[in-house]
Amino acid sequence: MDMKLLLNWRLHLTVILASLVAEWIGILRFPLGPGVLLLLPLFYAFVIGVLLNPHLFSGMDKVIPKRVSNAAGPLILISILPFIAKFGSTIGPAIEQIIAAGPALILQELGNLGTMLLALPVAVLVLRMGREAIGATYSIAREPNIAIISDRYGLRSPEGIGIMGVYVVGTMFGTLYFALMAGYIASLDIIDVRALAMACGVGSGSMVAACSGALVEAVPHMRDELLAFSGASNLLTYATGLYVSLFIALPVAEWLYKRLGGAALKEARHETL
Amino acid sequence: MKPSDTAAPEPLFDTDQLQELRPENQLGKTALLLGMVCLAAWIANMVNGSPLHQALPGMIILYVMVMIGLVIGRLSPFYLPSVAWVSLISILMTLPFFPGNAWIVERLSHVDFLAVVTPVLAYAGLALTGREFQMFRQTGWKLVIISLLVFTGTFVGSAVIAHLIL
Repeated sequence: MDMKLLLNWRLHLTVILASLVAEWIGILRFPLGPGVLLLLPLFYAFVIGVLLNPHLFSGMDKVIPKRVSNAAGPLILISILPFIAKFGSTIGPAIEQIIAAGPALILQELGNLGTMLLALPVAVLVLRMGREAIGATYSIAREPNIAIISDRYGLRSPEGIGIMGVYVVGTMFGTLYFALMAGYIASLDIIDVRALAMACGVGSGSMVAACSGALVEAVPHMRDELLAFSGASNLLTYATGLYVSLFIALPVAEWLYKRLGGAALKEARHETL
Repeated sequence: MKPSDTAAPEPLFDTDQLQELRPENQLGKTALLLGMVCLAAWIANMVNGSPLHQALPGMIILYVMVMIGLVIGRLSPFYLPSVAWVSLISILMTLPFFPGNAWIVERLSHVDFLAVVTPVLAYAGLALTGREFQMFRQTGWKLVIISLLVFTGTFVGSAVIAHLIL
């Protein structure tokens, strides 16, 4: 961690100004079909950040030099921590409700296996992906999941390329997508909004923030309860996610991949080459 | 940073680097940077949260909770991500039987939940590297589709199970 670059005053000033503009714009609602799409200040902050990123428009190098941008990664990790603390503080006061919802909270962790049920068949059968599909779909591709793939296959392997692709897409659009999806599904009023709150806990700080934030805006009178549930679920994912993805998700992904004929497809491709 | 041992010519992602980035491994630097990002969150909170003087105690409480969590993460004999420790500390300090919990919760109510995240995303947008933009251009649409299915799958999967049990 290069402190000179990380304490660059232009970087922090830019972040503060971008945040003020984003907060000032506030929450916007767009009706779409039977539901409502919510745009949150964190969206605008991200978009402003990307537009000012020197790697996208080299003219921005004058505002924030490329080497500052390259070094700024650790700040994401650190800046999410105060939010995690704020989040935890919604769980303490609601501890009785959380214990009452215990079984649902624990079992929904298995829902994280839903990543591959939907995505792996599409990856193999429709998009004709090879073993990249395993890395890409066995988890939501956050840091602990990357560590597992790196340990088992290496990051230059097809599996490694798959997970890094989803990691990058998740970093760029995951937060925005979770907020849009959660707000929209909540506005459809099909699934218990407390269940949606638990589903927000996917083990990524910014995704859970966006997801639960959108739910709270959709159903403001349940604010405290929803935050407590998603916070508790997220904590559970932090504690169990690594083990679930190592001992359950990855073997199941391997098995499902073979079942779908992924291996055969790949051999066939080699023969035609 | 020491060079990676793997034979990879140009790793997409450096695990040594990930290790070094763990905030609990460099407490002094993290303490300073945490102050900086709290400052950004404190100012962002002005618009939809509370005025600066009213939100100050809450921001300081958050800062202290994070540092306690990081120190425990550093000393802990087994591994849990530092975010999990921070979360546990803040749950503990706001439990109904924790001394002064009502005061803590009251102070924290002046810090807006979403305003704390806004600067995080601004940092995230500014910190995307050339490599990430390039990878996105190369692998493009297939991985975007797969990623969105992955996110939808985990969310809907968990929500349906929880809905059935509740």
